[in-house]
Amino acid sequence: MNSLLVKIGRGVGGVVGTLYQAGRDTVDTVIKNIIPFMAFISFIIGLVLVTGVGDLIANGIKGLAGSLVGLLIVSVVCAIPLLSPLLGPGAVIAQVVGTLLGVEIGKGTIPPQYALPALFAINPQVGCDFIPVGLALGEAEPETVEVGVPAVLFSRLITGPTAVVIAYFASFGMYS
Amino acid sequence: MNLFTDATVAEPEGAWGAVAAGAEYFIGIFQEGGNVLWSLMGGILPTLVVLLTAVNALVRIIGPEKIENLGRKAAQPGLIWYPVRYMVLPFLAVFFLTNPMAYTMGRFLPERFKPAFYDSAVSFVHPITGLFPHANPGELFVYLGIAAGITQLGYGLGDLAIRFLLVGLVVIFIRGIVTELITKRMMAKREGAAA
Repeated sequence: MNSLLVKIGRGVGGVVGTLYQAGRDTVDTVIKNIIPFMAFISFIIGLVLVTGVGDLIANGIKGLAGSLVGLLIVSVVCAIPLLSPLLGPGAVIAQVVGTLLGVEIGKGTIPPQYALPALFAINPQVGCDFIPVGLALGEAEPETVEVGVPAVLFSRLITGPTAVVIAYFASFGMYS
Repeated sequence: MNLFTDATVAEPEGAWGAVAAGAEYFIGIFQEGGNVLWSLMGGILPTLVVLLTAVNALVRIIGPEKIENLGRKAAQPGLIWYPVRYMVLPFLAVFFLTNPMAYTMGRFLPERFKPAFYDSAVSFVHPITGLFPHANPGELFVYLGIAAGITQLGYGLGDLAIRFLLVGLVVIFIRGIVTELITKRMMAKREGAAA
């Protein structure tokens, strides 16, 4: 009888502890990662909405993000092997561009169905700055890293635009 | 008796007026930014906190080490294992281990698959955030930024989130295959040069 009670107590304690720890982890990431980025993004949106910068950017973006060809150009530029590692870190550039595009979609400058291909067009550089570390996490040999870095970078030149085309066709029927 | 009922304050004019207008314009930028921040914190943040907590707890209860067996299986050659290696494994790795620990799953694969697996897994850390933001909480705004525009137009986000996830799966599959081919070629060339 006693041991049963202990067992139940332990089980419940374990579950509650897990949930509590999960909450603690969440609040940690929210404070350390999410809210700081929200503050940064809010400032940029404020700047874009109030100043004329928004209209300037809008004109530039409209031509690029409002058509398949424009999106393909963006994706190829972001996938250039020399540029992609520079554009990658923290996905900051992808996040800022994503936010700017979001503002333009909200204003109606860019049709909403372009949201999906745009998500891929602005992001062919994802993780290109992190290849050696990522491979090291996978316990790759130094020789693999030497081959792997250029392999991934060149692969992106092909798969970056491919992703945009797939997303373009997958966006048919969305928000129209 | 109120002496001030008829009192009016003249609009600032001239140089001071310009300065005052400039100051208003300046502070307006931050007021607008503040409004955006407030709507983000009041809008998506509470949902996000609850969702993250639930999924974090789920991952802890299931235990991320469970997917290691799948990692070992995915190492096998053969056409059948391609979708496992470059779709299922990256999905589960990113879901359970999150960015950046997901890439540690590469350790179960032979060297020639490692760059392709990394490429595949890292390309999934944004498509997954539409439905499962816990996997990459530091880089949510690639999706959320664009999604904000859709919300503003009054559409629901479910359609975009699910399509982003599905297209993401197709893309990482293609990326895995292409990068594996390129890696194979480069490794062969290198061995040829060494011999």
